Amino acid sequence: MTEPNAVISVRDLHMSFGEQHVLKGLSFEVYRGETFGLLGSNGSGKTTTLRALLGIYPTARGEALIEGTRFDPSMGARIGYLPEERGLYRKEPVLPVMTYFGQLKGMPAAVAEGWSRGYLEKVGLAGKERTRLDKLSGGEQQKVQLGVTIMNDPALLILDEPTKGFDPVNRRLLMSIVEEHRQRGATIVMITHQMEEVERLCDRVLLLKDGVAEAYGTVPQVQDQYGGRTLRIEFTGRLPDSPTVRPTVREQNYAEIPLPDGAPATGILRELLDAGVEIRRFETSRASLEQIFLQVYGERAED
Amino acid sequence: MNLSVHNVGRVIRFEVTRTLRKPTFWALSLAVPLLFGAVFGLVYFSSSSTESAATAQSEQRFDFTYTDASGIVDPHLAAAMGGREVTDGEAALADVRAGTSTAYFAFPAEPATQATRVYGQDAGLFDSGKYASVAQALIKASVAQRIGDPELATLAAAGVDVQASTYRDGVPTGGILSFLAPMVFLVLFYLSIMMLGNQMLNVTLEEKENRVTEMILTTIRPTSLIVGKVVALVIVGIIQGLVFSLPVIVALAVMPGLVDLPDVDLSALVIDPGRMVVGGLLFGTGFLMFTGLLVAIGSVMPSAKEAGSAFAVVIVSLFLPFYAVAMLIAEPRGTVAQIFTYFPLTAPVTAMLRNAAGALDWWEALIVLVELFVFAAALLAVGVRLFRTGSISYNARLDVRKALGMA
Repeated sequence: MTEPNAVISVRDLHMSFGEQHVLKGLSFEVYRGETFGLLGSNGSGKTTTLRALLGIYPTARGEALIEGTRFDPSMGARIGYLPEERGLYRKEPVLPVMTYFGQLKGMPAAVAEGWSRGYLEKVGLAGKERTRLDKLSGGEQQKVQLGVTIMNDPALLILDEPTKGFDPVNRRLLMSIVEEHRQRGATIVMITHQMEEVERLCDRVLLLKDGVAEAYGTVPQVQDQYGGRTLRIEFTGRLPDSPTVRPTVREQNYAEIPLPDGAPATGILRELLDAGVEIRRFETSRASLEQIFLQVYGERAED
Repeated sequence: MNLSVHNVGRVIRFEVTRTLRKPTFWALSLAVPLLFGAVFGLVYFSSSSTESAATAQSEQRFDFTYTDASGIVDPHLAAAMGGREVTDGEAALADVRAGTSTAYFAFPAEPATQATRVYGQDAGLFDSGKYASVAQALIKASVAQRIGDPELATLAAAGVDVQASTYRDGVPTGGILSFLAPMVFLVLFYLSIMMLGNQMLNVTLEEKENRVTEMILTTIRPTSLIVGKVVALVIVGIIQGLVFSLPVIVALAVMPGLVDLPDVDLSALVIDPGRMVVGGLLFGTGFLMFTGLLVAIGSVMPSAKEAGSAFAVVIVSLFLPFYAVAMLIAEPRGTVAQIFTYFPLTAPVTAMLRNAAGALDWWEALIVLVELFVFAAALLAVGVRLFRTGSISYNARLDVRKALGMA
């Protein structure tokens, strides 16, 4: 049964490419005004899900609905989509391309042009309105691409790896723009491999594995579902090789060690002290999404 | 208004504007008529100067010897032109070789079928032509002298002007003059394909190569995008055609005799409305089929480079009937003509040729038109479907069977 507040409803979605079954009965919903993270290793079916949702791939079985109906390009006026494989008309100047996309989204030419000028100024591209896109740097092209995505104040933003190709400064700029839309009430669906962004921005997440939902819910729900709590320690010395001390994150003087269900941290701490490890600082917390990600996908996530 | 329909107009405007904004478009468009103008100018002035040079050469006076086995050459005329008849040809030739005589002409027994030999002192590449010119002038003047009657002499020299009239079922058929008007559609078809073919191929490739497909397909239906881009191309083609033809029109206004066709009086052109309508429809459906085919090819191929080889095959198939044009005209209802008429790729050119020649029955025209229209619609539908799936197959050639859901 569809939640009345659902902007996106995916039910029992199956997708195949020849003999390869990419999605196997996937179901989830995205609610109005929330930021939703679609997570998974490469090839887990995230992009295919979005493409099916946006009608780029025909669905073999099941439903992928936006506002209760199958996607139609006429709905594109209020949807901003930043695909994983992205580009614009490279041989054309920035402003005419942005204006064109604004018009395709239903904006009058003058409004689209005015909005584009304002956006270019905001992202530090003022004066490059007449520059051909292929003469811009990769990061600058990404900014133009993002501008095209958020034109016409979309009510639904679908971002497939939005920070891919951005340096840290521009990543922050991009995320602040996304945050602005979130605060204005836009629904945001985001595919990303940046787990700290997911923890900071997303209300709910879906972890896809081999075309099925491995975990689905709010970030704390997923954290509770996976691994429970974690012991984080800063230490000097050598961690013992023990069946209970199995760090998922291990750096020079820092480690994250999952705690067995219901077990207190004191047991492991005592074991570490007995092994001669000097513990400078410790805390227990839920498992980070990155830990969960590593736990779910193992080595495949590094592909 | 429906946003998608409205967007077709926006696609057209964007595509036309961006093409017309490019200096390369104008440079290339103007280069063609300028090039043609330069070549025509060269040919025109070269013809004029060649003609006047030939006249001047034939009027040149120099001393020469000649032998006349035919007995046609008038000795008085020859003497007036500087000629002296000799009996020993070998000696006359030896004199020329030795440089003691300027030229020697050997008129054969039958000048109508045998070559007249001309020997002379080398006077350079162009001036040496004076020997042949004077020899020809001498024999022509001698023949005219023999005929006596100036009108008969002119008739013998210039030939007879014949105007033929033919009839079918009691109605004048117009001959070559009725062939020319409907052939305009074949010329238009040829020019359209030459001018727009590569761009048609790029209609779908550009979005794919620029990785812009996914973004654009969320704002516009693929059919609307493709229709918009094709219409824009046609508009650009018409503008380019006007740019091409404007200098020609100006040149014709300035020099009306520039394109005089031998033995064809354009004012007597016969325009058969039936053939013109069929020709126009064949042009339209042929162009539509061609468009559908290129859209489909562009959707399957990952890049313009790879699409180019498929495009070449299409072009060769389309214009294959030109290689058999003599057979198609001579036997318009022969087996080859029938095969070419109904095979979709060769149908437009063959049917247009046969229609122009008045050898395409109405029911044949109807079959070809329906066939081309159905084929074009099917190709466009397949092309749009392939574009939707194929255009996000960025790096590899699309598996058509998979894309069409057959595998």
